[in-house]
Amino acid sequence: MFILTKFADLVTIEPKDFSKKSIEAIEDNINAKYSNKVIQKIGLCICLYDLLWASEGLIGHGTGMVNVNVEFRMVVFRPFKGETMLGKIRSSTPFGIHLRTEFFDDIFVPYQELPAGAEFNVSEQLWVWNLDENERLYYDNHEMVRFQVIDEEWHDQTPAGPTQAEDAALKTPYKLKGSMAADGLGVCLWWDG
Amino acid sequence: MKVLEAQSAVLSNFEVHQHVLQQRERYKKSRHRGPPNYETVVKELSSWLEASPSPMSQKPTPYTLQSIPTLLERLRPYDLSKGEVVMILNLRPANVVALNVIVEDMAGRFDETQQEELVTIITEVLGAFEPAEEAPQENGEGDVAMDDAGQAA
Repeated sequence: MFILTKFADLVTIEPKDFSKKSIEAIEDNINAKYSNKVIQKIGLCICLYDLLWASEGLIGHGTGMVNVNVEFRMVVFRPFKGETMLGKIRSSTPFGIHLRTEFFDDIFVPYQELPAGAEFNVSEQLWVWNLDENERLYYDNHEMVRFQVIDEEWHDQTPAGPTQAEDAALKTPYKLKGSMAADGLGVCLWWDG
Repeated sequence: MKVLEAQSAVLSNFEVHQHVLQQRERYKKSRHRGPPNYETVVKELSSWLEASPSPMSQKPTPYTLQSIPTLLERLRPYDLSKGEVVMILNLRPANVVALNVIVEDMAGRFDETQQEELVTIITEVLGAFEPAEEAPQENGEGDVAMDDAGQAA
């Protein structure tokens, strides 16, 4: 679910950060730029894992900034296809169930990927799995579920230039599609109890 | 920014958790705070890692640094893929049904005794939750679920 990705980048340390130790200044700089951001086809960056290499600090003409070339590894959230992981039910619609983890909100389980016998209860706005005549199981909101990642979707948010409409809604940069159809998937309590 | 290697290693939740805890400890000592976006994601990540029923929600942490090599050693004869072992570490399946969603084509690859053996090995190396009190049946179940969600939030 988490991977390490190796990056090379140029870190610019402002004079106000000179009081910090170099390693701290570099770490903060990298975290400020990467943490909690999605990089296309890489994943959601969490935090710096380790600094592999750093050049001498170089001061450019006309500014007081110190420039350092660095190579480092980041912890990145990128579940692989087929991975089973935990999530919480965020909301339900007739199209399926939205899941989230605390730090990642864009997981969707379409209705085709729910077990056979599942139906949407309009009055309660949640999905119900009709196991048999008398046994019904509810996909309540905030319930912990196990799901399997079956697909991922990437949308680059780089501005397209003047042709782009002003108010065009940005698409989520990184989305996961999950499945809860197999035995053992779905609300954890059903299987662990 | 240049990506040198898109995937240089795979980490289990336990390793990420350890890394985050160590970082926190270091920051605390030097009275240092990271940038706001970093603080947010790390806080959210820790609360997710420590939410039940993740193994990391157990106190004291059931895993040690020795757990991973020991588990790999014990599971070697079963020829599981790397992804499957990582998932076993992350989810710690406590029964055959839970293992079934982790191991691909389990019925085809292992017979029933082997499946049981796998579950036993996992429990021995990684530990397990204390058996919970019998959950009340039928409508009682919904209430239990609500309580759990409340605690996790």
